[in-house]
Amino acid sequence: MITASGRRWRARAGRLTAACFVWACAAGTAMAAPGKPASKLVNVADTRDMGPGLNRWMADIYNDNLWWYGILVVVVMSSMGLVLGLFTDRLVGLLGINLGRISHHE
Amino acid sequence: MEMFTVYLPVAGMHFNVLVLLLIGFTVGVCGGFFGIGGAWIVTPALNIFGFAMPYAIGTDLAHMGGKSIVSTMRHRKFGNVDLRLGVSMIVGTTVGMELGARVVMALERAGLAESYIRVMYIVFLLLIGSYVLTDYLRHTRRRRYQEVETGVHAEPEPLAKRLQHFRIPPMVHFPASGITCSLWLPVLVGLTTGVVAAVLGVGGGFIRMPALIYLIGCPTAVAVGTDLFEVMITGAYGAFTYGVKGRVDLVAAMWMLLGASVGAQLGTVAVKYVTGYSIRLLFAITIFIACASVLLKQLELQLASSIMILTAGGVISAVIISWLIGGVRRERSLRRERGRLNL
Repeated sequence: MITASGRRWRARAGRLTAACFVWACAAGTAMAAPGKPASKLVNVADTRDMGPGLNRWMADIYNDNLWWYGILVVVVMSSMGLVLGLFTDRLVGLLGINLGRISHHE
Repeated sequence: MEMFTVYLPVAGMHFNVLVLLLIGFTVGVCGGFFGIGGAWIVTPALNIFGFAMPYAIGTDLAHMGGKSIVSTMRHRKFGNVDLRLGVSMIVGTTVGMELGARVVMALERAGLAESYIRVMYIVFLLLIGSYVLTDYLRHTRRRRYQEVETGVHAEPEPLAKRLQHFRIPPMVHFPASGITCSLWLPVLVGLTTGVVAAVLGVGGGFIRMPALIYLIGCPTAVAVGTDLFEVMITGAYGAFTYGVKGRVDLVAAMWMLLGASVGAQLGTVAVKYVTGYSIRLLFAITIFIACASVLLKQLELQLASSIMILTAGGVISAVIISWLIGGVRRERSLRRERGRLNL
């Protein structure tokens, strides 16, 4: 049986947790530091021993223009995610699992 | 094993494809189940196998974007993604991450030590883990009481409900979560989690997921799905910025994504067979493990920390997969029984 004083203590504990959360955010902002800066890394992909192909093509774009490379990373990852998402979705469907909407039960 | 080795031109090394697939699969299962990006597994895993840290972070972020698309698509079909809530939070998260990055730059100029971030990280993980675990224990005790007695218990109102009571316009209804609150609540929660994530140098999934549950009041499964939607956006942004800086090995990211897509699908489907509180319990355990690994790093035990994370990632994925298998078996036997009764 939970007594009135127990409920009060629980409410206090809740407030204390919230205060800790706020404190952690504030203190994190105030105290945190990024550490030592990373040593300079050279942005060159070694393509000397690479034959023609997809890897070579991507490495060449990396060496030529990093902006294009950044766009290529997003496009490749997004399209791969989409295609693989559809494919694995079908695959899981083959297992005979009901994949309709689910009811949320806590 | 030579046949499984590929050359990664950007990272400048040869790497075993099976390791990349396995790392991707493990983090995919955890990510799909908890709604997190899983940088805490991938970054040390790649680092331990020889990736320089900046490439490990960039490559992780790149594959995270793609993997989150797989999980978000499945969660959306389950009805676990609150798009309106996700979009509202994105605004706050983006501003928060920018603010956090500026704070980090300012502190960098001030020359503060790295250990401060780790200490904050440990404190934060401990707070989140303890809160989630306490909530789970409270819930279990409450359920036990309800089985013994029939009386109604006046439980203290959850923090989320109190926050929802602040009726500052505009008020918005979030249908998938089933809540109505001021638009400022998700924006501010996004802002806070964004600042914290940027300052701590993490993706923010493990902060946002509990924040969605305890501060906004989402059901656990919706918190997982909506958080993945956010991870998808932040992952894509991270992939671009790290790509432009030349810190993404696209070949490695593609192989990892291949493994992660299968893992993410399985992890996401596993959510269907467990209760929200089971997710919360496993999440709390995961947070404590992550906390212990950071503590080991703080004690200069880098190798022990990485090994612990890899082992924990494997064990947690195995638990999730076993829950999935158990759930599928139960579902099949139930279907068989129904079929027999109909005959």
